[in-house]
Amino acid sequence: MLAVFLLYTSIAGGTPQLRPSELNGRTGEITIVGQVVAPVQRSGRTIRFRIKDVQGSSTVRLPVAYTGSVPDMFKVGRDISLKGRLRAGTLVGVPGTLVTKCPSKYSSKKT
Amino acid sequence: MPELGRAALIVCLGLALYAVVAGAIAARQRRQRLAESAQNAVVASFAAALLGAAVLFTALVQNDFSFVYVADHTSRELPLGYTISAFWGGQEGSLLLWLLILTGFSAIAVLLARRSAASLLAWAVPILGGVITFFAFLLVAVSSPFATQAAPADGAGLNPSLQNPYMLAHPPMLYLGFVGLTIPFAFAMGALAARRSDELWIVVTRRWTLVAWTFLGFGQLLGAHWAYVEVGWGGYFAWDPVENAALMPWLAATAFLHSVMIQEKRGMLKIWNVVLVIGAFALALFGTFLTRSGIISSIRSFTESSIGPWFLGFIGIVLAGSILLVLSRLPLLRSKTRLESPVSREASFLYNNLLLVAFCLTILWGVLYPILTEALRGEPVTVGPPYYNFFLKAFGLPLLLLMGIGPLIAWRRASLRGLGRTFAWPTGFALACGVVLVVLGAGSSIPGLVGYTFCAFVLASLVLEFVRGTRARHALGSSSWAGAFSSLVARNRRRYGGYIVHASIVLLAIGVVGSSAYDTIVDQRLRPGDTLSVESYDLRYRGVEDSRGANAQEIRAVVDVSRDGESLGTLRPGKNRYFAEQQVSNEAAIRSDRLNGEDLFLIADQIDPDGTLFLRALVKPLVNLIWIAGFVFLGGAAIALWPDAREQRRLAVRYGRSEALARA
Repeated sequence: MLAVFLLYTSIAGGTPQLRPSELNGRTGEITIVGQVVAPVQRSGRTIRFRIKDVQGSSTVRLPVAYTGSVPDMFKVGRDISLKGRLRAGTLVGVPGTLVTKCPSKYSSKKT
Repeated sequence: MPELGRAALIVCLGLALYAVVAGAIAARQRRQRLAESAQNAVVASFAAALLGAAVLFTALVQNDFSFVYVADHTSRELPLGYTISAFWGGQEGSLLLWLLILTGFSAIAVLLARRSAASLLAWAVPILGGVITFFAFLLVAVSSPFATQAAPADGAGLNPSLQNPYMLAHPPMLYLGFVGLTIPFAFAMGALAARRSDELWIVVTRRWTLVAWTFLGFGQLLGAHWAYVEVGWGGYFAWDPVENAALMPWLAATAFLHSVMIQEKRGMLKIWNVVLVIGAFALALFGTFLTRSGIISSIRSFTESSIGPWFLGFIGIVLAGSILLVLSRLPLLRSKTRLESPVSREASFLYNNLLLVAFCLTILWGVLYPILTEALRGEPVTVGPPYYNFFLKAFGLPLLLLMGIGPLIAWRRASLRGLGRTFAWPTGFALACGVVLVVLGAGSSIPGLVGYTFCAFVLASLVLEFVRGTRARHALGSSSWAGAFSSLVARNRRRYGGYIVHASIVLLAIGVVGSSAYDTIVDQRLRPGDTLSVESYDLRYRGVEDSRGANAQEIRAVVDVSRDGESLGTLRPGKNRYFAEQQVSNEAAIRSDRLNGEDLFLIADQIDPDGTLFLRALVKPLVNLIWIAGFVFLGGAAIALWPDAREQRRLAVRYGRSEALARA
């Protein structure tokens, strides 16, 4: 019973997590995970940049617009995850959802 | 030097293997001398692990970059404190820390149990040996901290976010908790394997669980405080998988510490308790695995991690082995008594357990969800804070209420009239508080209002318990009220220590509710000279200060804070730009009010070259109670843990006979 309950809320409350190359014009709310590519432009509280797949050879560079506070670790080359929706080819981020992935904490470096 | 380290780990592995094999043979054939030899091997494995740790420690302190680990995690400029914390800054070092703590705890447990619970040790030793074997094997064969290279001129340095005083204390504290849960597991399994059906293993296990649980709880609060003060987004817990990793075993251990009392008093819930011990240990392993394997980001990164598959395999073996053992011993675990009434202390403990375990599973589900969906549907789906927060309210609020009911309700069967008498005062007090809160405007958040009313209820029932107990002691002839109070606590350390822990949870709840349900957040663009009002605070932005620190450029927005025209000082939120690491860090500014526990939290989101400031101001009522709760928690746990000669004697009488039988 508990499992059913949890499954239900998960489906209702969860958002799919995608890579930039997997987006294919989806317009629902998604979480995107990618690597920040230069240049990063700021205008007021909005920043614009592009992200690419963290791994693989895809050439997709997805434009992102995000308004709100940006975490400390944010910079070109960093892996980030962000919630948002696709609007006219640009992923518009939900404020407060931009998270940088901390490389030291998660990965076992060199493999 | 590295050879010495490697040799020490190989010796440790050998000793652990010996403890497994010799211990198992000794336990099967009841050979006392061989059993003692296996116990000594466990103790000696600590010496070997200590030697290995000493080698790595020396290499770190001496900046010996011919060690790959040292070169990857330190640099010449790194201050000594952080050089030491680099011990657990990377994977190999943290595994070595695990091994060191594990062998240390095991050695202490073996030496202590030799005197008090020798018959339990027979099978506990090979099980401890098995866990030590796993970690020693990882360090010897898969992920060695003693890999060498031609020494580079300088090391790569430590990640700046780990260069923080909290990182000195927070990870070891959590490891002490994670690893500590191994001991209860080993003794529980040892008791089952030896077909012991009495509650002796519970006595040994409860103390160790309490120790591990205390470290785990305090370690988490340290982490929360670090996040609050240093990470600077205005929160203290984000349901990050790494945070959840520590919360899950803590919840399981909390459930065990409660249900264990039912088994001691009424001989019920035996299977459930064993399952909780297994679950807490498996979750501790899983937590280590989560923080160290990279499975969180994706399955793809998991396959790249060198230790991930090993960990998963080991967790599988642990679960399969212990479940088989429990199944084969089911007849031993049958309850002596049944639940007599759904309104009784036993029942309230049972509800508490169900809620704790349900919440624990909820979190596990949330953590595993992306992995499950990726495996099933090909794309991971994540659940965020709304999911966890919903269940925190759904399970946490009833838990809070039970905390007020449990200690007062009668064992076995409570009558309705008795209930009315017992709870008249706390209920009245809580309702009165609720009404006052509504008048004060707390109705803006229904969960917040309910939470506070429940908190009042729990506090009132706790105070009532202390008052009643003290009165009884006083009537028995204690000279003073203070004397009566202290002898009350001293004579029932477990009980009243536990109540003090309950009080700390109430403080925590008040702090969490206040800072999350009643907080204020304002975002504002300010030019120098502009003012902004947030709640009772008046802020005035003066301008930018720019200075050069030792290793970073420090940019600060100068903000004067006042209330009703009276100055409360100046806050300087800003950013540091680190030269070497090419990184920017947010430096939040916090003003804590000592009187009401409220924080004014300022974040300089962005400071433009022309002096324009994008300021985020948060007012967090009562947030400081969370940190105070940490110390109350420690105090309560210490009281509950303090050795009690009277209780030892009671237990000696109770279990002495069966112990003598087992020896014969």
